Amino acid sequence: MGKIVFAAAMSHVLDPDYYQAACGLTGRRKVEACMAEIEKLGETFLARRPDALIVVADDHLNAFSFNAVPAICVRIGRYVNRMIQDDAEAFDKVLDGMPERYTLHEELANRILEDGLGAGFDLALSWEAPIDHAFLSPVMTMHGARPVTPLVPIWINCFVAPQPTPARCFAFGRHIARVVATSPWNVGLIATGGLSHFPELRLPRVGESDVVFDQKLLGWLAEGEHEPLRSLTPAELDKAGEHEFLNWMTLIGAVTPARADVRYFGELGRINLAAVEWRVA
Amino acid sequence: MSRYEVNSLLYRLKKDRVFRARFNADPDGALAGLDLTDGERAAFRARDMERINALGGYLHLVMSVPGMAAHVTHTEPE
Repeated sequence: MGKIVFAAAMSHVLDPDYYQAACGLTGRRKVEACMAEIEKLGETFLARRPDALIVVADDHLNAFSFNAVPAICVRIGRYVNRMIQDDAEAFDKVLDGMPERYTLHEELANRILEDGLGAGFDLALSWEAPIDHAFLSPVMTMHGARPVTPLVPIWINCFVAPQPTPARCFAFGRHIARVVATSPWNVGLIATGGLSHFPELRLPRVGESDVVFDQKLLGWLAEGEHEPLRSLTPAELDKAGEHEFLNWMTLIGAVTPARADVRYFGELGRINLAAVEWRVA
Repeated sequence: MSRYEVNSLLYRLKKDRVFRARFNADPDGALAGLDLTDGERAAFRARDMERINALGGYLHLVMSVPGMAAHVTHTEPE
């Protein structure tokens, strides 16, 4: 019988140079502190001898622009490539130098997809979509120079309205938990992005974050109070710059009612950096 | 406002190096034939990413088109 042996959520632009350029030495120091905690999370994860790592993240208009924008998409196939961006700028630069191809856990991905459709989740699938920093920056920070665990990338549409609701993401997380429980594998699960940044996705508001909203979310996570989270709306998340919390909602659904431990929270106007681990072992 | 036209153009500028070079050399020529409003066309011609964002351009695109990206910087308190 399979088990979720590790669950964590974390920010996903893990690049000291990016934060130093955007907001100075304070930004650099805080992301380095966040990355140190994520590296520790990687040690914990790998010590549990996982067979697969499910990564729930979002597309930054790189993979699905604009012939189709799936609400939820499961990456299937044997391998996935990282996004290649010529003359990369800003958050795209973190991918430079990373390996180009990664092994997928094909059977787990297929089960999540096929059982999901059977259970009423109208999931999209992709054999070709590349993965950007939302997936690979946390994965590579967790693994370092060690071989990367077979991945199951799952995209949630966090940015292109209309997005799926937090409640729907939570329900999809419950589905992931059911699939893992009936599988033979030990599975790690991470959700990436956040916390509060880029409210309303307006350029003049870059540099604002909502610390009060984040503290409210983290309080609920620490107490295992998940009902209030399911009542959140995409409009509330947009206003507070919590778009990527939809990824977290999927993970929360998978591990509910587990409580979380906040490994790092660092306030920045640019973004509130975070690393959170759930008590699933 | 034509959200699709603005964003598909941003996407093409980011992902299509040849088109990006053409736009840089001859913006009017590159934009010719696209279904843009006068305001949208003017914003692209001026490379005004804040205006493009206000016209519906997705934030992550206006912050990452090579050579045109809006780099918002600010100092954070210790």
